[in-house]
Amino acid sequence: MFVYEKKLQYPVKIATPNPKLAAVIISQYGGSDGELGASMRYLSQRFSMPYPELKGLLTDIGTEELGHLEMVGAIIHQLTRDLSDEQIKTAGFDTYFVDRTAGVYPTSASGFPWSAASMAVKGDLIADLTEDLAAEQKARVTYDNILRLSDDPDVNDVIKFLRAREVVHFQRFGEGLRLAKERMNERNVYYLNPSFDS
Amino acid sequence: MEAAKRASMQAANAVASAMDDGCGAGAGTLPGVCASLAFPYIPMQESDPPRYAQNDAMRAGTLFPGLNLPFHKEVRSRFPNANPALSELMALDFAIQELGLYLTTHRDDREVLDLYWSYVRLGKQGREKYIEQYGPLCETDITPGSFRWLNDPWPWDLEGND
Repeated sequence: MFVYEKKLQYPVKIATPNPKLAAVIISQYGGSDGELGASMRYLSQRFSMPYPELKGLLTDIGTEELGHLEMVGAIIHQLTRDLSDEQIKTAGFDTYFVDRTAGVYPTSASGFPWSAASMAVKGDLIADLTEDLAAEQKARVTYDNILRLSDDPDVNDVIKFLRAREVVHFQRFGEGLRLAKERMNERNVYYLNPSFDS
Repeated sequence: MEAAKRASMQAANAVASAMDDGCGAGAGTLPGVCASLAFPYIPMQESDPPRYAQNDAMRAGTLFPGLNLPFHKEVRSRFPNANPALSELMALDFAIQELGLYLTTHRDDREVLDLYWSYVRLGKQGREKYIEQYGPLCETDITPGSFRWLNDPWPWDLEGND
């Protein structure tokens, strides 16, 4: 089960509201490579994982991603607080505002609502962990792109932290694949699917 | 010319020594090692790897210098950007989290396990002190006098980290 702890993993304190920037960062909340998809991907994939290291890895990282989802939500919430009548008309944010006011909704910046179609659970450890490696890279690039688009030091401080986590997770998934390989058929890792054939 | 020759000799030697090490038909060679074909190759992080101090780990987003690979557009980290007691707890919890995740793929690293458990013990003490002063971290935390779980601020509030 999950138990909530009333603190963030890393502090979020944004001095200046900026709805236009919020409309971009929302992609890491509910976009195709965002934190909601990351946590759902890992926490779902773990059920069919055959080895304890992989169950532990997906549980740890999937749980951490839920903490990141909360941090990205906090950024959006703080960037859209106390908005004036003028600010809600900001190009880029007005189309979000008309549907969601200042609520935090899992959608991509382009307006496409979060979809399970953006993640995969294949029930095969090589396929799933290889997907996870790619997912960490895609999230890393999205954070790179946010750093290119944002000049707000309070926001970028948090984005820098979140981006660094993607690199660490990539390394750990790679290590998970290596550990798994040691247990698979040494001549042909594709001989059977250890997530299914026992 | 001489340098190019040396490089090609080295490459040939690496392949030869990899063959000596028993890289069979199912394996290709990377410089110095056998690597299986058609399988992603990411090296294991070394055992008992170098580590940052806790606050530096928060600034880098990782406890491990070897995994600190920043983007060119990054700003200097503002951590600690929260009240000192909360920052201290966050930094300690982050070190615990990083070590725990490391241990999932390095379960036999005794040095790191000992460090992990010593941080976990510190974390338990730090948590009790924090709860006494600032209120509950979990809904089940017992606080003197009244039910303080609902008190503002919540973590996502602007004041949530003050």
